[in-house]
Amino acid sequence: MHFDGSVTARDLTEKLSEVQLYDPLSLYVHVPFCRQLCWYCGCNMRVENYYTRAREYVEALKTEIALQAGILAGRGVPTSMHFGGGTPNYLLCDDLADILGAVEREIGLTDSADLAIELDPRLLRDDDIHHLVSIGFNRFSLGVQDFDPDVQAAINRLQSFDLIESCVSDIRAGGVDDVSFDILYGLPRQTEASFAQTIEKVIALSPDRVSVFGYAHLPDLLPHQRLIDSETLPDETLRAELAEAADASLTGAGYRRIGFDHYAKPDNALAMAASVGRLKRNFQGFTDDAAMTQIGFGASAISYVDGLYAQNEKSVGAYMETVRRGETPVARGLVRTKRETVTAAAISDLLCRLETDISAVLKAAPPADAIRVCSALERFESDGIIHWRGDAIVIAEGAHLLARAVATAFDPYVQPQIEYAAAV
Amino acid sequence: MSASASSPVMCRAPQRPASCDLCVVREQSICADLGPRELVEVEKTMARRTVAKGRALMQEGEPNDSLYVLVQGSFRLLKHLEDGRRQITGFIFPGDFVGVRPTGESAYTAEALEDSFVCCFPHKFLDAIADRCPDVKDRLIARGQTEYHKAQDHIVLLGKKTAEERVESFLHLVAKSIGGDGDGAVTETPLPMPRQDIADYLGLRLETLSRTLAALKKRGAIRELSRRSVVLATPSD
Repeated sequence: MHFDGSVTARDLTEKLSEVQLYDPLSLYVHVPFCRQLCWYCGCNMRVENYYTRAREYVEALKTEIALQAGILAGRGVPTSMHFGGGTPNYLLCDDLADILGAVEREIGLTDSADLAIELDPRLLRDDDIHHLVSIGFNRFSLGVQDFDPDVQAAINRLQSFDLIESCVSDIRAGGVDDVSFDILYGLPRQTEASFAQTIEKVIALSPDRVSVFGYAHLPDLLPHQRLIDSETLPDETLRAELAEAADASLTGAGYRRIGFDHYAKPDNALAMAASVGRLKRNFQGFTDDAAMTQIGFGASAISYVDGLYAQNEKSVGAYMETVRRGETPVARGLVRTKRETVTAAAISDLLCRLETDISAVLKAAPPADAIRVCSALERFESDGIIHWRGDAIVIAEGAHLLARAVATAFDPYVQPQIEYAAAV
Repeated sequence: MSASASSPVMCRAPQRPASCDLCVVREQSICADLGPRELVEVEKTMARRTVAKGRALMQEGEPNDSLYVLVQGSFRLLKHLEDGRRQITGFIFPGDFVGVRPTGESAYTAEALEDSFVCCFPHKFLDAIADRCPDVKDRLIARGQTEYHKAQDHIVLLGKKTAEERVESFLHLVAKSIGGDGDGAVTETPLPMPRQDIADYLGLRLETLSRTLAALKKRGAIRELSRRSVVLATPSD
């Protein structure tokens, strides 16, 4: 994705004014604050010690919600709302309820909408989970990353197994049947043995879903990652082994693999959506939400409406200032061409289902590019990573970790990654 | 008049019509613009149909080739999203119409909220008598509300910025649709739909709806409230 300043607030307003009465909407709220820095983090976040700042931010969010609601004028039905970060539970429950109330008042919010929140278990206060459930949250995602104390020290995120366990049991006590864990492989000091123990503990806590992401070490882009000693990072071979071991353990424990990096219990909504081919991928990962329109609120949040991507101001200060002036805080974005739209759909399809029909991609590409795509795919085929089924390419059994690499073959903006290992 | 929960208030014409002559709804709206000869023509091809509570008159995605006039009872209109969630898009009361245009794929489901009674006019017969009775279809629906009016009502309600405004406007809309006697006397308005349907329809959570109803009662905008009916304050209150 290559965003630039050619997309403005006016473009988003224009697209939002075309939303129809019963179009499903997926809402995203970004909470950029954290109590302390995790050294691996690649998100838009800032360590904030003064809660008054967060209060001001909540007010700005409510103003932004009212601004966009004015454009929607009653059209569109929110089917899901996701709070991401940063750390959404940096905010007090009353402030989260305040945001939900603003959405309900301004845009509408019904009991059937899914309300999801990412949690930092270390920040949970006594009664938080109970309170969050009572204001309607029904999907909880915990940043677990790794259970090994050595690894946790190396990424500056210490959280005990007991803490996670009590957090999960509080969520279960609230009757919530959608708990998900984020796990990272490729973290400093991870070994096969330590990571196997982490996965074992994950399985013991029985989350409904697990995401297993590869840590991307990009210290030149993300200066705080320099705090991680690159000498302690697993090498490419070990990274691949960690990912494969996690896959074997999770599938062995009865989880269904969803796409290339998500796992879900067979009775989870996500797994059921996958089984009927209704799965999509958005900025928060895989989703079973039917909404094609996403509206993002908060600093750096991304909205997607009918081929238009619009991203808000990244800095909290600039975001709040723009909103206070009564302006939509769009800073950059992109408009997708027909070719980009079909390519993105094919990539999403490939990552979700591990196969996709590529005829639309080839039709939309200029002939020289189509030939380039085909020759890249030929290399993947001769290496046994994909095979063909009619016009569809299918990722070979056991090669799911390479789905992302195969997807690069369609992307007009990047050179195909023939160096597979680096992509895993 | 008391609004007791034990005796549900029906959305109905006072008497179940045995023939068009006896149809009380007709005097209020339906068919009122048809002359006696036209009425005879229309009546020949018209069918009367009862729809039991919970059953659908028409199904989303399925063909529909009849115009229906609701004589007694009530319906909810709903659409399903791809992921199985449903959206309540409107309520149909006596005198209202559904199926205004024949379609190969109905845009919504109309489901009876109580045992209901409809008159059914196949579009092909209405079209066939059009040369003898010009604009019969338009005049048939001239006084009642169609699904298009319902969509208009809905967007106006959803555009309102407070829960109180949305709920109060909705209750007045129902009262007006079901038709009080209009002389300012206190009337009990039936609420045949579950509270969850009202909340979904208004883009509110059930808890917010309950809180808002309580607030309206406290403020005096609602005089009496039961599970199945409401008595609204008249302007003189």
